[in-house]
Amino acid sequence: MERFAFLGRFARNRGALAGTVIILLVAFAALSAPVFFPTDPLRMVAQPELWPGEDPAFPLGTDSLGRDMLAMLVHGARATLLIGLFASAVATLIGVSVGAAAGYFGGWIDETAMRAVELFQTIPNLIFVLTIVVILGSTLHNIVIAIGIVSWTPIARMTRAEFLALRDREFVQACRSMGMGDFGIIVREILPNALPPVIVLSSLVVAGAILFESAVSFLGLGDPNIASWGRLVGDGRELIRSSWYICAIPGVAIMVTVLCLNLIGDGLNDALNPKLRDR
Amino acid sequence: MASTSGSSRRNAALRLLKRRLLQAIPLMLGVVVINFVLIHLAPGSFLELMTAENQVSDPATVELLRKTYGLDDPVWLQLVKYIWALMHLDFGFSYRQNMPVLDAIWVGLPATLLLMISSITLAFVIGVAAGVVASAKVRTVWDTAVSVAAMFFFAAPSFWLGIMMIVLFAVKLGWLPVSGMETIGGGGGVLDILHHLILPTLALGLFYAATYARVMRSSMLEVAQLDFVRTARAKGLSRRRVTLSHVLRNALLPVVTILGVQMGTILAGSVVIESVFSWPGVGSLLFDSVSSRNYPVVLGIMVLGSLVVIAANIAVDLIYMWLDPRIEIR
Repeated sequence: MERFAFLGRFARNRGALAGTVIILLVAFAALSAPVFFPTDPLRMVAQPELWPGEDPAFPLGTDSLGRDMLAMLVHGARATLLIGLFASAVATLIGVSVGAAAGYFGGWIDETAMRAVELFQTIPNLIFVLTIVVILGSTLHNIVIAIGIVSWTPIARMTRAEFLALRDREFVQACRSMGMGDFGIIVREILPNALPPVIVLSSLVVAGAILFESAVSFLGLGDPNIASWGRLVGDGRELIRSSWYICAIPGVAIMVTVLCLNLIGDGLNDALNPKLRDR
Repeated sequence: MASTSGSSRRNAALRLLKRRLLQAIPLMLGVVVINFVLIHLAPGSFLELMTAENQVSDPATVELLRKTYGLDDPVWLQLVKYIWALMHLDFGFSYRQNMPVLDAIWVGLPATLLLMISSITLAFVIGVAAGVVASAKVRTVWDTAVSVAAMFFFAAPSFWLGIMMIVLFAVKLGWLPVSGMETIGGGGGVLDILHHLILPTLALGLFYAATYARVMRSSMLEVAQLDFVRTARAKGLSRRRVTLSHVLRNALLPVVTILGVQMGTILAGSVVIESVFSWPGVGSLLFDSVSSRNYPVVLGIMVLGSLVVIAANIAVDLIYMWLDPRIEIR
């Protein structure tokens, strides 16, 4: 019943619902890209710099090399969403591990973990991502790890706060008195209770990760084999005088996706804390 | 209030400053170690990479590099030597600019700081004003307008926003310059620089303005429900007076906190915006150094960047203390 109440509250939030629908559409486009646009999207198919609507065969026009904007956009959705999801997963994994250890054990572990959080908040994050990517190589997997490494601190703080609030509750003490080990208590008893707000935060980290990736690709340091949306914006940069739509379209795609993810995050948050809804 | 006289508050501020500076030391050490280790993860020897990728063949330069970085030493000794040098403000030598790293960074630092400060100011002023308006007119058209604008700017990538503003305000309307910090030939006055500063500041600052507007709105609504506000109203103060002098000051605290946390992000964001607007800051030096693997400069920018963040955070703490004298910051 609790779960249905949660879903009901989420569905009553129109913004969150609209966000969910649009994200599902983007995800569907990403998954079906090979079906609708089976050829390489980076192949030249028409005359360059066709404006959107000029030729019905290419509803979003073509870029400076005569590549189909729509095909590139749909294929780019795959890269953008995948990077966002995996980077958020990396950040959540690091953040939950650090935060759980800090909140549960306290003492010097907590102290060290919090200093690490402070350290990673001090280092200018995007500069750090660029450095990691350049040093280890511009591959999809290095970009995901680099973004995860700079995005875990809010998750660690949140997890730590949840663990601090839960670690001395009766059910945890009961487990302890029954001789359950620390690891078991953390993973099987406290974590499931601490997870809901952390998941909300992770959904917001996906949005942040997409923005990070788009900046990295825009600067030309993304994986050269992947046409993510950020790279499309960067590719169109030289042509803003004649064909500014080449920059505009992928940028709108990034913005709409990030906006919808934020709406979903807000909706989940409200549904989780019904009392805070009217703030 | 009476107990926090001028001199005791100044003492408290000095104590805070001292504590923060002491805490900054291990933090800086951490920054140096992490980045040093990261750079040494790069495949191949440092010197080979540097000399091969940049076609440095002059034996005197190679020898100078070898000597400055003590590249025959084990990594841990290099690290110790680097830290020792840093303590004497020696950031090493950049062979590409053929000058000390610190001098190379120094050239672009004022432009980057200018962009950072103007963006933070814009974000703070617009964000706080919008948040106050939205909370004063909660559930009206004003509130909705602020929420929608905040949602939009919170999701738009800054570099893209910058390009779109160039298209509109510089290319189509011709009101503002496309790029650079001053007009080539004959520019350079304060007004000229301000004119060039408008678009980059908006591109970088609006995202943060959106963040602060959201936080400010909910913080204003929360503070407005507290007891002391009711007391102030009961004393017969006007609604406007209560909002501006009682609620606002207390509601600012969370915004100031977030500002402190985001300092590093803003610095990094300015690097991207610099690339969009050809702003002559540290950004172009960073790209040049990152892509040519000129690691001493990359390390130097990281270390100085972190120092800027720490200094800004100390400033934020002092502001925090001034806003809320009850708080003795840990």
